[in-house]
Amino acid sequence: MNFRRASQIANLVLFLLLLAKAIYSSNVPAAIDIYLRLDPGLIALTAIGGRMLDIAFIPALLVLAITPFAGRVFCGYLCPMGTTLDYSDKLFGRSFEKQFEDKRFRSIKYLSLFFLFGASIVGVSWVFFAAPLSLITRFYGLFLHPLLVFIADESLGHIRPMAEWLDVYSIALMQIPTPRFATQMFIIAFFGALFTLARVSPRFWCRNICPSGGLMALLSKKPFVRRYVSEDCTECGRCVAACPMGAISEESPLVTHHRECITCHTCAKICPERAVSFGWAKTDYDAGATELAYSRRQFVITGLIGTGTAITCLTGLSSPYGKPGPGQVTAPGLIRPPGALPEMDFLVRCVRCGECMAACPTNTLQPIWLKAGILGMFSPVLTPRRRYCSPECHKCGDVCPTGAIRILSANERIWAKTGTAMIFRRKCLAWEYQKSCMVCDEVCPFKAVAFTKEPGNPVPVPRVREEKCAGCGYCEHFCPAQNQSAIVVTPMGALRIFEGSFVAEGKRQGLKLAITPELKEGALLGEDDLTKGYAPGFENSK
Amino acid sequence: MNRREFLRFQTMGLLWMIPGVSGLLFSKKAFSELVPDVAVVKGSAAAATRAAVELLGGMKEFVKPGNRVIIKPNMSFPTPPERASNTHPDVVRELATMCKEAQASKTLVLDNTLSAKELCLETSGIRQACEAIDSKMVFALSDDSLYRTTEIPRYRSMRETEIMKEVLKSDVLIAAPVAKSHSSTGVSLSMKGMMGLIYNRGIMHRRYDLNTSIVDLCTILKADLAVIDGTRVLSTNGPRGPGKVLRENTVIASKDMVAADAYAVSIFEWYGKKFKPSQVSHIREAHERGLGRMDIDNLKVQSIVL
Repeated sequence: MNFRRASQIANLVLFLLLLAKAIYSSNVPAAIDIYLRLDPGLIALTAIGGRMLDIAFIPALLVLAITPFAGRVFCGYLCPMGTTLDYSDKLFGRSFEKQFEDKRFRSIKYLSLFFLFGASIVGVSWVFFAAPLSLITRFYGLFLHPLLVFIADESLGHIRPMAEWLDVYSIALMQIPTPRFATQMFIIAFFGALFTLARVSPRFWCRNICPSGGLMALLSKKPFVRRYVSEDCTECGRCVAACPMGAISEESPLVTHHRECITCHTCAKICPERAVSFGWAKTDYDAGATELAYSRRQFVITGLIGTGTAITCLTGLSSPYGKPGPGQVTAPGLIRPPGALPEMDFLVRCVRCGECMAACPTNTLQPIWLKAGILGMFSPVLTPRRRYCSPECHKCGDVCPTGAIRILSANERIWAKTGTAMIFRRKCLAWEYQKSCMVCDEVCPFKAVAFTKEPGNPVPVPRVREEKCAGCGYCEHFCPAQNQSAIVVTPMGALRIFEGSFVAEGKRQGLKLAITPELKEGALLGEDDLTKGYAPGFENSK
Repeated sequence: MNRREFLRFQTMGLLWMIPGVSGLLFSKKAFSELVPDVAVVKGSAAAATRAAVELLGGMKEFVKPGNRVIIKPNMSFPTPPERASNTHPDVVRELATMCKEAQASKTLVLDNTLSAKELCLETSGIRQACEAIDSKMVFALSDDSLYRTTEIPRYRSMRETEIMKEVLKSDVLIAAPVAKSHSSTGVSLSMKGMMGLIYNRGIMHRRYDLNTSIVDLCTILKADLAVIDGTRVLSTNGPRGPGKVLRENTVIASKDMVAADAYAVSIFEWYGKKFKPSQVSHIREAHERGLGRMDIDNLKVQSIVL
């Protein structure tokens, strides 16, 4: 195995290990999202869109910085998307005698880059449609991982009877909950298409579409370290057919399209004359061989189309553009993770990599389709009916590569209110059906459900104390009413602040959020006027 | 001494001998006269637990060598012991130790927790407490494949439910709840706690009458031994709290889970008041349906203070 393959596999494995760590470990290291922060396109466009520079972005800037010197090394040696496609090409592709070449395909990557750049100018980030690390993280985290877990769980079901019989409790009582995700179909369709395009040419995505590749290609017109062909070349053309990027001119193997070259050295290895080497520039064979298929004018127009499309979306009905308040139309189920930035900032920073959703231990974080318009596609929301959002947990913030979800201390996290629960009385077992229930009160970690006696109702009924409700969704998840819950969390009252303390802001708004109130021995806690003189659940009590 | 006196003497001797000899012949029965229906011990959690079970004849009365034992504590919430929403770890550990001493082949501590499993096992302190006895002892089971649908022959409303397979497989069931209030059923003690061994609890709220279905459930999940942890009592805002926690330092044990629950209702204060067991619907219904006895005034209660 050569160095490049080793590097590719090592990087893919490390990428997957970090993803696994994000999913399975409760303590995640700061570098958990390093691969996302290495993606130059993803980071550059996010930085422009969000008008921000962050030390977290240094890895991608380094990648960009080395490109003019060493070319698209990232594509050839590091990118987990590239490695995945290399291997999927082996599965789905075919061998090429002569590669299908259409220069116009090549330039799609610049068009996609300029389109995204144009959008980012007006503060809209669409990197999630095309940035390689966003796509590949979703592929492994939201699509492949649940698939493997499902298979593991099904297999466990077959081993379990044996383990039960042998009293191997660690296996007999093992539980492997399968995570479920929305928008799977996008990932399947997208990658299905990419894998199929291997029939057209190898690494079709990398050479033709990837905007990060496009960005690096712009910077590697003539890298200092580049391909060089000596006079031993017999122009047999083997390297032309073997090049995974189609970076060698069909007219002459001496001529290299450096913008396309990922310095994989395949040509050097395959050359029977050992005429190809990579090193400091020696000749100028490549001069003029890196023309772009489109004119600058066309790139500018594409950028303007991107800007125009972005503005169109910003003027869409559900757009969060402008100050929150009257006139803003938000879907009721749009409950953002705790510590998510104000919606506009959140959407531009969130690269939809799916790390937060893959890492969410309760699987409540789900990608959405069009609930928040095209600007909000694949962004994470809490889905309390699926499961609650543990007030003790803030992995989503810890794994977020761009700070779209803030990193919070344990106490700040408790005050990061995501919404408020409301009761649909006509559906409530206690209010409407007069059944002894109170499950919402039973499960609420914030003691935000109060019970009252209503005239004519023999059972206690729940009421939400909004100042104590953090919108965690325990109540909605456990509500025994079928189908839609009788108690539902809406994003009303969610705290979305760009900086500063959630505790301070919450207290300023009069909230009283606590999961472990101070225990005074023998004393009733807080203001329990609603329960005074009434013991719920007992008969013949006042 | 004349003959009449001799005969009277002999007869009296015979009369005196009857209880003595019967005591020898039917010693167990005589012993059972001494065993209380409800044992109440005041003391520290572990010592009181042990003493309460000893008063009932010791764990060997319930656990035979080779038996599989299930202990069902409350560990549904990620709260520390002082909040009194979970059973005290020392109570669970002492019960597990006693089961081991009685040569149980396997003891499992099981619950279907409401909150995240790991967090509950960790924060309640129960897993750590039992770690030294057996590292594969404490489990929170929520996967449906670990449950089996089981008919309830003596049902009134709930005809069947899914019960943990391990419970169905076991020989002995020990209820080890913490004493706490419950906003829907008044109290949550050993009977209500059996809802922690089934899969679908929502249906008990939704389709059935909660109190009746609890009694239905207890007709098949009738604990062989109920040990109520009243070391701390969550007197208000149960079952999760935070609420008023009473330091009662009491452990109540009984073979009769209804009696244990009834006694716990009567001796502790709930929402600042005293209640009769009959004011708790599921306890009253269990008594009426002959599952156990709530008439604690007619029961033999033995109380000791350590």
